Amino acid sequence: MSAGRVEGIDCATDAGVGIRVAVPGCGFGFAATREATKTGLEIALARAVAIARALPTTPRRASLPPVPPALGHWAGPCEIDPFELSLDERLELLLTAEALLRGDPRIVRGVAESLACRTVVAFASSDGAAFTQERTECGGGITADAAAQGETQRRSYPCAQGGSVALAGHEHLIGLDLAAHAPRVAEEAVALLSAPPCPTGRTTLVLGDEQLALQIHESIGHALELDRILLGEASYAGTSWVSPTDIGTLRYGSPLLAISADATLPEGLGSFGWDDEGVTAQRTVLIEDGILRATLSDRQSAATIGSESGGAARADGFARQPIVRMTNVSLAPGESGTLEELIADVPSGVYMETNRSWSIDDRRLHFQFGTEVGREIRAGRLGRLLRNPTYAGVTPKFWGSLEAVAGAPAWRLWGLLNCGKGEPGQYAHVSHGAAPARFADVEVGVLR
Amino acid sequence: MNADGELALARRALEHLSGEQAQATVTRERSLFTRFARSEATQATAIDDTTVELLCVVQGQTGAAATNRIDDAGLAHAAQTARSAAAAAARSGPGTYPGLPSPSAIGSHEGYDAETARLDAAVAGAALADAFACCRERGLEAFGIWTAGEVLTAIAASTGTAVADSFTDAHMSVIARRADGRSGHAAATAVATASIDAESLGRAAAARVATEEPGTLAPGSYPVVLDHAAVGALLDLLGSLGFNGLAHTEQRGALCGSIGTPVAAAAVNLADLPNVPGTLPRSFDAEGVPKSSLALIQDGIAQAVVYDTRSAALAGTSSTGHALAPGGSPDGPEPSNLVLAGGDAAGVEELCAPIERGLFVTRLWYLATVEPRHALVTGMTRDGTFLIEDGVISRPLHDVRFTDSVLQILAATEALSERLRLVSDHDLYGRRFAKGVLCPALRAGAFRVTGGSA
Repeated sequence: MSAGRVEGIDCATDAGVGIRVAVPGCGFGFAATREATKTGLEIALARAVAIARALPTTPRRASLPPVPPALGHWAGPCEIDPFELSLDERLELLLTAEALLRGDPRIVRGVAESLACRTVVAFASSDGAAFTQERTECGGGITADAAAQGETQRRSYPCAQGGSVALAGHEHLIGLDLAAHAPRVAEEAVALLSAPPCPTGRTTLVLGDEQLALQIHESIGHALELDRILLGEASYAGTSWVSPTDIGTLRYGSPLLAISADATLPEGLGSFGWDDEGVTAQRTVLIEDGILRATLSDRQSAATIGSESGGAARADGFARQPIVRMTNVSLAPGESGTLEELIADVPSGVYMETNRSWSIDDRRLHFQFGTEVGREIRAGRLGRLLRNPTYAGVTPKFWGSLEAVAGAPAWRLWGLLNCGKGEPGQYAHVSHGAAPARFADVEVGVLR
Repeated sequence: MNADGELALARRALEHLSGEQAQATVTRERSLFTRFARSEATQATAIDDTTVELLCVVQGQTGAAATNRIDDAGLAHAAQTARSAAAAAARSGPGTYPGLPSPSAIGSHEGYDAETARLDAAVAGAALADAFACCRERGLEAFGIWTAGEVLTAIAASTGTAVADSFTDAHMSVIARRADGRSGHAAATAVATASIDAESLGRAAAARVATEEPGTLAPGSYPVVLDHAAVGALLDLLGSLGFNGLAHTEQRGALCGSIGTPVAAAAVNLADLPNVPGTLPRSFDAEGVPKSSLALIQDGIAQAVVYDTRSAALAGTSSTGHALAPGGSPDGPEPSNLVLAGGDAAGVEELCAPIERGLFVTRLWYLATVEPRHALVTGMTRDGTFLIEDGVISRPLHDVRFTDSVLQILAATEALSERLRLVSDHDLYGRRFAKGVLCPALRAGAFRVTGGSA
C-alpha cells in the first residue's frame, strides 16, 4: 500500500517433494520435484542417487547418526486465521495506517504492508520418522521515506525489512496497531532530514531491542552455526571466528551475556515440532555467564564433533535441502529495569534503534551496523534526534563491553524473514528475543 | 531447446482469465548445484520445477498469484486468486498501473547451450576433482560451488503478447584455503559449462593465497586496484541504487538531479547490454518488453535510468524493458546486464604500476548500503587483499573494511583493464534467474578504508 493505493497483492502457493539420499561409498544427493506422483518420485530418487554417485567420493560423510523416530502432528499458534479473512478486511487495516503517513510533502513514499504465510510439511525418513506440521506466520509494518535538499531518510515501525512477523495468526498484525504509530513515524522521517549527524568517536551505546536482535543474529547466531565453524559454508556464507575446541571455555562476552536457542518459544518464527531432519524441537543454552556452551547444529555437523544434533536443520521449502539454521536465538533479559532506567546512569552517549544497514566479515568478527535513528543521551536522558547513526566493533570485544540489559518487561521477540544462506539460496525465518542493552566504549559515527 | 511447451502452458493459464486484462508467465527451472568444502563434495541439489504466475489488472490495480500446480484445477484456482486480489485492490480506488504493454517483436540471442542443459552430474564431478587436485598440489583445500541451469520462460497476455525464451547458465567458484585460514578466490560464469575451466580456476584461486604473514593497513584513503570481482559487486549494487527508475522518480535514487551531468571519470562507460557476447543474454523482461541496449553512463556523464511499465508511467516515459516481476516489482526495476567498457591496461600489473602505495582487492564481501542517496556503501575485502608498493603487489594484508560511495570510486577511476570478465555471485534465491556484470578490473585514485580485521 502506497500513496493511498494498493501497490500490489501477491499470492503464491507451491508444493512438491524433496528427497535426500545417503549413498554408501559416495555421499549425499538431493533432488526436488513438483511431480508428487509415483513416477515423479522415482525419477527424483534416481536423480538424487545419480548425482551422489557422480561426485568425488566422500565416504565419511555418507551417513547420519540415528535419532528416535519423529511421529505425530504439530501446529503453531493461530488464533485468527488470516486466510479466513476477506482481502478487504486485511487491506482496510493497511489503508488506514498508510493514510496517516502522508500529509507532509517531504514524505515521498509511505508504505504499509502485511504478510500471511502457511507452511504444511509432511516428513518421512528411513529412520522411521513420519510426521506432519503446520506453521502460520503473520505480521506487517509501515515505512515512511522523506526527501529534501539532497537528503533522504527513512523511519519504520515496528521494525525495518517488512515489519514484525511472528508465528501467529492475524491477531499479531492487529496487536501492532500500525495506525497509532504512523503519525510519529512520518514526523520522525521528516525530522531526521535536518537532524544533526551522529557524532564520531567512542562512547556509551544503548541499543533498542530490535537493533539488538539483529546484532545477536549477525554476531552470535551465525557465528555459532556448526557447519560454518567446521568450514562447510566457506563457499558462500563464510566461516566463523569460533573453533569447535572453544566450546566450554571461550569467553564470548561479559558475564551478563546469556544466549539460548529455543525452538519451543511461543510465536517464534524459529519454532517447530521437529526440525527438517526429524529432530525434536529443543532449547539449547549457547552462552552462559558469557562463556560459550554449545553451537547450533544438525545431525551431520554434530556427529563430526561427537555430539548430538541440536535440532537446527531447516529447509526453505521442498526444493532446498536442510542446512544448519538459527531457531529463536535470544538474549536473556537482565535486571536493569526499563529503557529509561538503563539510560539514567549514562552521562553521555548515543541511543540507536531500528536497523538500516548491516555488514560483517565472513568470520562474523568485524561488523559495522547502521540504524534509522539515533538519539543523543545527556545526563541520563534521551535528547535530540541524530541522523545516519552507525557503530562498529569486534564481536567478543563488543559483547565483552555489555554492561547492562533491561529487564523482562522490556524483552520482546523480533522476527526476521530474510536470513540468507546456502547454495541454492535459502531464506530462513527466525526470531530473536532481546531487551534494550547498554555497551561501554563503542565506536560510533563511523560513516565518514 | 525452445520453450513452446511453456508458451502453450502460459496460453492455457491465460484462458482462465478470459475477458480480463491479464498476463500469464511460465518459468521452468532445471538445475544442478554441487557444493564442496575441504576438498570434499558436501551437498548436491537437483531441481525441476515449473511456476505459473498470473497477473490480473483491474482499474489500474494488479493482483498476482503464483503456483506450481499446473493442472486445470490449479490454474483455475490461481486465476481466481489473482482476479480477487485485483478486484479487492480496485475497491480501494484506482491504481497507477498503466496497463499491460503492447506486444513487441523480440530478438534472438545465443544464451542457450544444449550441452549445458543436460545438467550432466559427471561434468560437475570432473570439475570438482580438477579443483581439488589443483589445490592439493599446493597444500591447500578447495571450497566452492559448481552449478548449471536451464530456464525456459514464456509470457502470454491478453494484449496479444506471446513470447518465449530459453537460456542456460553455468558458474563455478573456488576458494583455495590454507590451514591457517588465508584464502584466495576465483570464479567464472558463462552460458555454457564448457566455458568453465575448473583447473584454471583452482590455479587462480591458489595463486591469491598469501604465503607471508599479512600486514595491517590503517584507516585512510588509498589508491586501489579493484579486480573484476570487486568491480562487478560494486556495479551490481549501483544498479539498484542509481538506475532504479522508481527510486529515481521518487527522488530517492543516487542519480537524482544528475542525469546529463558528470558522475564518473571520463573513462567510465556503463551500459545495460542484454545481448553482447560474454553476458547472460535475455530476450525480454518480466512484462514481455523486449530487451535492448541502453547507455547509462557515457564518457562519465549520467545518461539514463531504467524503467518498467509502472515506474515509466510515473516518470512520464516508456518502459526500457527492465521489469523484475509481472506488473513490476514493488521495489522498482533494475539493470540486468550491466557492462562496463574496458580500457587499455594489459592487466592487473599495469594497473598497479603507477601506485606508490595502495591496495589490491580481489573480492568484496557483505556490501551494505549506508546512504542510498549518495550510493554510500560499506563492506569487507576477502580472499586476497594485498599492499601495492612502488608499482607492484608487494605483500598480503589482513582484510579491510571500506566505506565509500560507488559513484566517488567511479569518479576517481584512472584506468581500466582491456579484458572484461562476467562477474556473478550466483546467489540464486527463489526461482533461478542468473545475472552478472561484465566488467574490467580498474584503478581508482581513492578508496576509503575505514577499518581492518587484524
